[in-house]
Amino acid sequence: VEPNATIREIRLMFHKLYPRWYPARQSIKLDPKGKSLRDEEILQHLPVGTTATLYFKDLGPQIGWTTVFLIEYTGPLFIYFLFYFRMPFVYGLDERFTSSPHPVVNLACICHSFHYIKRLIETVFVHRFSHGTMPLRNIVKNCLYYWGFAAWLAYYINHPLYTPPSYGKKQINFAVIMFLLCEAGNFSIHVALSDLRRNGSKIRKIPYPTKNPFTWLFFFVSCPNYTYEVGTWISFTIMTQCVPVGLFTLLCFIQMTIWAKDKHCTYLREFKDYPSLRMPIIPFLL
Amino acid sequence: MAASGSGGSRADNGYGSQQPRRRKGPGALATAYLVIYNVVMTAGWLVIAVGLVRAYLAKGSYHSLYYSIEKPLKFFQTGALLESHKYLLIAKYLSGIVPSSVVLTAFQVMSRVFLTWAVTHSVKEVQTEDSVLLFVVAWTITEIIRYSFYTFSLLNHLPYLIKWARYTLFIVLYPMGVSGELLTIYAALPFVRQSGLYSINLPNKYNFSFDYYTFLILVMISYIPIFPQLYFHMLHQRRKVLSHTEEHKKSE
Repeated sequence: VEPNATIREIRLMFHKLYPRWYPARQSIKLDPKGKSLRDEEILQHLPVGTTATLYFKDLGPQIGWTTVFLIEYTGPLFIYFLFYFRMPFVYGLDERFTSSPHPVVNLACICHSFHYIKRLIETVFVHRFSHGTMPLRNIVKNCLYYWGFAAWLAYYINHPLYTPPSYGKKQINFAVIMFLLCEAGNFSIHVALSDLRRNGSKIRKIPYPTKNPFTWLFFFVSCPNYTYEVGTWISFTIMTQCVPVGLFTLLCFIQMTIWAKDKHCTYLREFKDYPSLRMPIIPFLL
Repeated sequence: MAASGSGGSRADNGYGSQQPRRRKGPGALATAYLVIYNVVMTAGWLVIAVGLVRAYLAKGSYHSLYYSIEKPLKFFQTGALLESHKYLLIAKYLSGIVPSSVVLTAFQVMSRVFLTWAVTHSVKEVQTEDSVLLFVVAWTITEIIRYSFYTFSLLNHLPYLIKWARYTLFIVLYPMGVSGELLTIYAALPFVRQSGLYSINLPNKYNFSFDYYTFLILVMISYIPIFPQLYFHMLHQRRKVLSHTEEHKKSE
């Protein structure tokens, strides 16, 4: 192997020898307990002598992030419809294909569907992933979570015995406006983050606010996309006044806070001049 | 979740590779605290055991013994929950990972607290059942051995008998306890259905419903995958621990 070979080339060569283990499945390390080496690393820049010992670990069957997201997000979209259109097996034969007298139920369906369609569009056209793949068994776990919760909350919102929000139109209108603002914000952030990586470059850069007012949240927060996402779900909870939705929102919040803190720590580690005002997910607080 | 880049599950090893893993044992103060804690727990379960025996001798039968030990049982079982929760957090933050045995123990404590409060205490009608006695006896013996095991381990003076007992008696006590638990939950079912305990129906302002009856059935079903795992884990531990001691003895 040439001294200036990249890890990527080594992976390809390994794959030729062992066709079963395609490059995405290989984890190549300098030390059995160490971190996996990235594709771009060049052999001679690594701390090795004239002969290098590399350790291989099989990461198991992999699946692309785009594929995962597509499956994860299409599920809730259609599962919600099963409940909205009141398929016979859901609420019993007497209620099959009926529709709710409450306009908020229709609104909730539109919002929920809009949210997942937006996510699907972003997955295809906007997102740029740094890791190409994830282990296959994750998809079972993730789908169970997304699809399961979608079914659970759709069940209650579209139930014949559903009770509309206590404060009526005022509550619903407020929620819709908040929903739209947060969705717009979330989309703006995704576009801004994607622009940081034009031309397929994998270099990490600090995201900064742009002319778009929604991105000004970057002054205060490292991961405003998560902030907006939580906002979206809070608004959906207010709109439907439904405990399962609230629980889902809470779980989303916890999960995204964990991710945001991770991301924030990564940023702080990599960039010495990282803006100090920024908190991970909630301005000044968290 | 929409996350451009990382976030979600990592494809490679994720955890704790930033900070060096500081694996230090408990200091003197922590050891003293742990010893006292385990001694107290051992004593507590001994109290329960003694209470059971006394009540049995006084009454002449083993029915309705639950009432004689109800309070200490609740106290020490719930105390264990709070403590093990703290251990779980400490283990997670110190080492970054939670060893599987801690997770399993936490599971056990949770299920016991559930049985104590959410089933036996809440459904008064099952308190006279024999199945309650079955699991109380199983728990009592197990816990006395377990806490004395911890106590002696901390003092680095573990009698082989205790170690043997801990890793052998479970073979009988575990199924005994599980049977008692399952029978108790099963006995509670009709009363829960009748009284609508802890259940909420539609329609209501918060658009939520919960059926405790179904929940209990799901809990019972969950024993099927979980119990064998715990049992075989303990069997595996037994092989490891007891054969290791034999080798140690042979080499001396």
